[in-house]
Amino acid sequence: MNCKSDKLKNFQKYLKAQKTAAFVVTDLESVNFLSDFEFLYEGDASLLITPNKAFCFAKQMYLGDLARHTPYLTLIENNTIINIVGKLKDLKIKQAFFDPTKMDYINGNLLHSAGVKEKPAFLLNAREIKTPDEIKKISKACKISSAAYDIFRKKIKTGMTEIQAAKMLEDIMASLGGVGLAFDTIMAFGENGANPHHRNTNRKLKAEEPVLLDYGCKVGGYCSDITRTFWHGKKPTAEFTKVFNMVKTAHDLAIKAARIGISGGALDAVCRDYLEEQTGRTDLFIHSTGHGLGWFIHEMPRIAKGEKGKLQADMTFTIEPGLYYQGRLGIRYENSVHLTKNSLKILTKK
Amino acid sequence: MPKLDAAKLVAVRKLLKKNQVDGYIISDFLDTKYIMGNAFIVPDEATLLIHQKGLYIVARTLYQAPIAAAYPEVKIEGADEHREVKIIAAAKKLGLKKVAFDSEKEFYSKGKAYVKAGFKEIPSLIGQIRVVKTDTEIKTMATAAKILYKAVKHIEKFLKVGVSEMEICQELESFCKLQGSTGVPFETIVAFGPNTGNPHHSTGNTKLKKNMPITMDFGCIYKNYAGDITRNIWFGGKPDAEYAKIHRIVKAAHDAVVEKARPGMTGKQIDAIARDYITKAGYGEYFTHRTGHGIGLQDHEAADISQINNGKILENYCFSVEPGIYLNNKFGARFEDCFYMTKNGPKRLG
Repeated sequence: MNCKSDKLKNFQKYLKAQKTAAFVVTDLESVNFLSDFEFLYEGDASLLITPNKAFCFAKQMYLGDLARHTPYLTLIENNTIINIVGKLKDLKIKQAFFDPTKMDYINGNLLHSAGVKEKPAFLLNAREIKTPDEIKKISKACKISSAAYDIFRKKIKTGMTEIQAAKMLEDIMASLGGVGLAFDTIMAFGENGANPHHRNTNRKLKAEEPVLLDYGCKVGGYCSDITRTFWHGKKPTAEFTKVFNMVKTAHDLAIKAARIGISGGALDAVCRDYLEEQTGRTDLFIHSTGHGLGWFIHEMPRIAKGEKGKLQADMTFTIEPGLYYQGRLGIRYENSVHLTKNSLKILTKK
Repeated sequence: MPKLDAAKLVAVRKLLKKNQVDGYIISDFLDTKYIMGNAFIVPDEATLLIHQKGLYIVARTLYQAPIAAAYPEVKIEGADEHREVKIIAAAKKLGLKKVAFDSEKEFYSKGKAYVKAGFKEIPSLIGQIRVVKTDTEIKTMATAAKILYKAVKHIEKFLKVGVSEMEICQELESFCKLQGSTGVPFETIVAFGPNTGNPHHSTGNTKLKKNMPITMDFGCIYKNYAGDITRNIWFGGKPDAEYAKIHRIVKAAHDAVVEKARPGMTGKQIDAIARDYITKAGYGEYFTHRTGHGIGLQDHEAADISQINNGKILENYCFSVEPGIYLNNKFGARFEDCFYMTKNGPKRLG
């Protein structure tokens, strides 16, 4: 039973290391992550976590299931800030904290009045370095999604719609052991690739046009993320080949530059400077170079313009440069990677 | 090209007037989705300032060009962080005198900045509007419902001896996806035999045999809106006499609600129609949940048809009607469709 509470244990270790006596968590996704329980809606439950204990304040309807599935939580009926503040007093905790970027204003105000202090992005930072078990799951999810790409390439046919192709890809991942999607699959045919947040349509695949697919699956709750752009047909246009090579080179440069100690901003600049220099334009690479991934598809570190945070061992993140010519052509190339003490492992590649 | 649902903005502006403010700030993911459809991919990417004359958005830079192009009536500024600073500046530039923000859904860190700028707290204003569906929303939800009716028909030919709950679940989800659904709003419940006696059964590997009842409770998401349906089938041979009886009762209780509910009745009064019917039939204690729930962008939202909702159900509220009877370890039945309230009573979606 206790094996399921790894995420909580790791967080408690972090609390200890950061000399933090107590931390209050109220947002649904963080509560679900730390409790390893699936509450349905915002406001269903909160957690008060100390280095040694974890209290769960939950709506009455959950208490039975919680008692059976989460022996590592001390249960308290009713999820109210008043209850939480009362517990802090009972425990004689001198200083507790909450994340002001995850707490709504009304409740934040109540905690503030009770003397609870702010620690922005605390949980996000706590998750930045992955445990061996987490890396194992992320790696497996990545392996499945890159293997799925090879099968997909053999099965994709002219005339399929984006929706059908996405479904086929998702089924392939499921058949390889992926459990659920990391995010909604992006399957963009032809000019649709120029929109980095394209939503799949019934547009049919024609012979001789590009296909961009950005997707990922989950294993044990952990995400993978991969993007490929390929030419469906025999003769890629000169423009496609040229743009593809620029993007791929930008990716390769970033992979080479990613090492312990480099800042997210400096790594982003490696891609950005190269693409701007090659294209002579600053409006074509319109998103950041990458993002951390783990239990959530977007975690720390950020690989983005001006980001000061430095890369450390056992971070997992994406490298995903792209170029977008509105209404015409978009190319993105993305891998998920694991930075180890000695090297950078590309997880979404054979 | 996507279009804003003008009826929603009209409703927001009416409420602004009523609350004596001339601008309202929102950033909650579902609330921004309510106004902007699929414009943003993940939470925390955009803040909206809705005012009497327009809509001002501060969003991640990558959205600036596509949103400016797609929504000519919208003013958009790009900012990858600290969007609240730009929103405060925009409110000043627009000459808005009284501005409020959603104190229930806005993060504490941002709410603090708004309070400092002299903005007022108004909790969940969009929430009040979301419960009343616009004509466009009702049309979209009708399409979602139609996908589910088709799926019920489609699945009949897959019901064979030896098929597992999981396989039927896969086929239902897969069928809905090919019909344009982008996902499932909640975990699909497929229950065979005695499993139907548990209203919250987790779909498993139980195999179908002759003379077994089947319950399927599943949904789809069409253009962001949720659909929800439950059907029961007796597989092979003649239904058990008691099963036929409880099935008849839940269907009749369901139909009684559709016939007798009127706008202006409370959720509790409508719930009582089904509950009284089932109680009179002698199964009151086996109807262990509420009669229905509101539905819209989320599968469960405001407009509960339950014993604890003293709020009125008004015209254009959307909700499920799903009475059930569960005889533990034996079997159970539930019948569910979704409706919108008209002046003449509930009208089935789709």
